[in-house]
Amino acid sequence: MFARLVGESFVRNPRRKILTAAAVVVGMAVATATLTVALDVGDRLAREFRSLGANLLVTPVSDTLPLEIGGVDYRPVDEGAYLEEASLGRLKTIFWRHNIVGFTPFLDVPAVVSADGRSLHTTLVGTWYEHDVAVPDGTKFKSGVSATHPWWKVQGRWFHDNADECVVGAALAAANPAVFSVGRTIRIANSKNLGQTQALVITGVVSTGGAEDKSVLVALSVAQNLSGHPGKIRRLFVSALTKPADSLSERDPHTLSAKDYDRWFCSPYISSISFQIQQVLPGTDVRAIRRVADTEGRILSRVGTLLWIVTLAALAGAALAVAATAATTVLERRDEIGIMKAIGATNSVVAGIFLAEQALLALAGGALGFVLGVGLAWILGQSVFGTPSSLRMVLLPVVLGLATLIAILGSLIPLRRAARFQPAPILRGE
Amino acid sequence: MFTRILWKLLRASRGRLVVALVALVSGAAVISALLNLQFDIERKLSQEFRTLGANLVISPERDAQAMGWPADSAVLMNQDAVLNQVERLRTQELVAAAPFLYVVAQVKDRPVMVAGTWLDEATKLAPTWKISGTGIASRHDGTGSLLGRNVAQQLKLAPGAQMELSYLGRRALLTVKGIVDAGGPEDNQVFVNLPVAQQLAGLRGQIAVMELSINGTSKTIESYAQRLAANLPGFEVRPIRQVTEAEGELLNRIRLLVLSMVLLILVLTGLCVLATMAALAMERRADVGLMKALGGSISRIVGLFLAEVGVLGAAGGLVGCLVGVALSRWMGQRVFGATVSARWEVLPLTVALMVGVALTGALPLRRLGNVKPAVILRGE
Repeated sequence: MFARLVGESFVRNPRRKILTAAAVVVGMAVATATLTVALDVGDRLAREFRSLGANLLVTPVSDTLPLEIGGVDYRPVDEGAYLEEASLGRLKTIFWRHNIVGFTPFLDVPAVVSADGRSLHTTLVGTWYEHDVAVPDGTKFKSGVSATHPWWKVQGRWFHDNADECVVGAALAAANPAVFSVGRTIRIANSKNLGQTQALVITGVVSTGGAEDKSVLVALSVAQNLSGHPGKIRRLFVSALTKPADSLSERDPHTLSAKDYDRWFCSPYISSISFQIQQVLPGTDVRAIRRVADTEGRILSRVGTLLWIVTLAALAGAALAVAATAATTVLERRDEIGIMKAIGATNSVVAGIFLAEQALLALAGGALGFVLGVGLAWILGQSVFGTPSSLRMVLLPVVLGLATLIAILGSLIPLRRAARFQPAPILRGE
Repeated sequence: MFTRILWKLLRASRGRLVVALVALVSGAAVISALLNLQFDIERKLSQEFRTLGANLVISPERDAQAMGWPADSAVLMNQDAVLNQVERLRTQELVAAAPFLYVVAQVKDRPVMVAGTWLDEATKLAPTWKISGTGIASRHDGTGSLLGRNVAQQLKLAPGAQMELSYLGRRALLTVKGIVDAGGPEDNQVFVNLPVAQQLAGLRGQIAVMELSINGTSKTIESYAQRLAANLPGFEVRPIRQVTEAEGELLNRIRLLVLSMVLLILVLTGLCVLATMAALAMERRADVGLMKALGGSISRIVGLFLAEVGVLGAAGGLVGCLVGVALSRWMGQRVFGATVSARWEVLPLTVALMVGVALTGALPLRRLGNVKPAVILRGE
């Protein structure tokens, strides 16, 4: 009998039901879309922030003081300590290995370019462009300045690994156009050991906006040979996806309790990632490049809060839409309630019928709204970040529950008023 | 007569109107709060990006640039020529500007990169520096210095200690006033005020580069750079690409993201208000029948109802907007830790939007022309 009453109501006046369901669908679609985006946005923006380049710098510990300006080390090669290039693959074995987006080693060699009887002093910067790094688990990882210094632009092409090729900094090339033009071969010598020379073909002109604009960039192996330090590097830049700092990450890990320590170790904070890198590369000093890391952390947490507030506003809007239509439905059906009560329905039966109807509508509308919302989020992700948002099935029960809850809450107030209806005046049409 | 009926109409059905007003006010509040925030977000976020440090560099022209050891053989710039122009073209977008001169000096027989700058501006240029010790607040302090973290560690110097810098026989005795933890190459440098470095290097009135931090979009920075370049012939003014490019791109993404979410909510709230107003309008059918029976012309009756709905929309929009501005202030406090200034252009926009939505919601009233008074009065 109860089920038949509820069913009848759907069949008799489908248009009114469609209106209510439409409100639920639109409300829940917006709720799903904003929730999906808000859940995703931290990871996605963190990835976008990698366009700022590396956020960790690894240097050998107990080093002499580097004499560097804007990233190029002007120390003679014999001074200071080095890192082993062969050990770099271990970076991809740490707990947060998938958060390591890229890493690039650097070795700077003060050098002399001799051309047309003149000799020009410059710095030879050995690095990787896109280098295959052997990871201890047997796989290969492609990394280099393309990942850690994405704003470096080259005219022509980058050098190949292991080839006797180089790219020239834009300022150097502009100052000596006759010597440094693409396609020409230059002879370059270690300024400490002029006997050690190397012929290099210029394949491109690089503009970095930094001190590298005044240097010659070559494959790491070329610089190592010229410097007489095979297999060594001076600095390592690491670009890692991190989580904004919070109260836990700011505490000293040594003072944490065992449980907090686990939580810290298993969160991709910049401090825990640098700790893990230090573990696999002993004898190094791993430092967060604070300029980048702090800015990223601040903006990520700000945008995160902002989006949660916007999502809250969307949820409020959705609730308003669903509750308003639910309330109107009850008000519009005063006549029906009057008749039911006149032929002996108790208040609880009337309320039961209406709530069951609303819940059914909310479930159906919520399911449809979820599907639409996933589509909306897909479009949003595609247009803002260039890759669609991932589907999160966890949200389905959340959205359905939310829709039902709001619809029932929205009908409760008018139903309480309906409980006070006297059948007689309603039936008289007053 | 018209206004009297309108007033009566509004008073008679207070219960329903309250429901409609609640919908209108909350809709307008959400919309105006988000619009207000949206207007401010770009400015606020680009301020946040200033922690990245300098985004514009003035250096000697490329052709003249020498290579090799920077402090000894680099081509330098005349301090006054650059500083005067920068000062003359200063606008409020300029957050900080500092000149730099680098010297490789000896401390305790070890070579160290010494950076001469204006220490008061340099700390504004790099707000992420953590300085322990007292620090140096004036660019005229010729006796103090700040040490990079690694320098302090290697030379075993703590705040308060004395140290002597020497370069080609010239000496400077300085007190360590603070340790800089910058997480970058600055950790390996010694910072002194510009005159100290100039005296040490014997380069009076000369600087190597000038770094500027400018607040704004990449367009603002670009136009600032062009203005400087036009007034500084013989110098190169170039944006630091790592900062400006990434910043522009990120700002764009974030703005687009928030804008699209705000638009979604705008549509949703609009629809919600629309539905409420439509329900309200349909309830007026009985009144219309009575008025028609009494001889009211249909255009006048429709005018009456539209006026009712319009007044509602305007009132809801106005109140909602005030609530919304307060709401956006709270949001600004939560998100940016600074109040979002009220943008009053949001007010007419929201009111117009609400009146528009309310009137659209009353569109079904068009069909009132077909209403037969007898049918309605019979209660069918």
